[in-house]
Amino acid sequence: MNVREYEITIGPTGEVELHIDGIKGKGCLEVVKLFESLVGEVREVRHTSSFYEPDDDVVIRNQQHH
Amino acid sequence: MSAVAVFAPIVIASWPALGAAVASAATSLGFSIVDQAVTNANQSQNTDSVQRVDLEIPGSEVVLETLGRDQRIRLVRDGVEALFARDARGRASVCVTGEGYSEEILRQVGEELSGRMVQHYVLQKLKSELDSRGMNLVEETVGEDQSIRLRVRHWQN
Repeated sequence: MNVREYEITIGPTGEVELHIDGIKGKGCLEVVKLFESLVGEVREVRHTSSFYEPDDDVVIRNQQHH
Repeated sequence: MSAVAVFAPIVIASWPALGAAVASAATSLGFSIVDQAVTNANQSQNTDSVQRVDLEIPGSEVVLETLGRDQRIRLVRDGVEALFARDARGRASVCVTGEGYSEEILRQVGEELSGRMVQHYVLQKLKSELDSRGMNLVEETVGEDQSIRLRVRHWQN
């Protein structure tokens, strides 16, 4: 079982900043889409390096042919 | 950390949901909700010195559920009155009046109130929607700048 953690800051004028933790790759985009449907328009998305790591369920095979 | 996203809120709400957000905003800013009938009876006779500022709440739409119901909420604090209502175009608006207050001060009060109303609307909506998706609220704190921070945990198979 995986745990995902979100930190949500709702500013005094209602703008929302969402910090997504523990999710790599497209799973992250799914969370952004969910919050877009709940809150409103996406103003900005900043990805950290782990965003570009492959999803946990993706297996990369590196085969060498001689 | 995987990503940080920033959202501009859109308020599409029924009047009861909006009213609940206005009530929470009023409490957080020290306003009292006034009975409409009492206010009408005590309307000020001297309106010359009463400044008035009308503000529309951007990105808002008040969904009508029942026609003919009184869809206004009046708040008071220190001689300032703020009237939240649904305008003719269906947007939420606030009219702020106060005898002896400048237009600038009343505008600041109106902007603070409407901002806080949107904040509480978003808070209530997120809490309810995240709960319905099986996400657990593990912490809720209010910062010095009055921002509200939620920490949410989601267990997935």
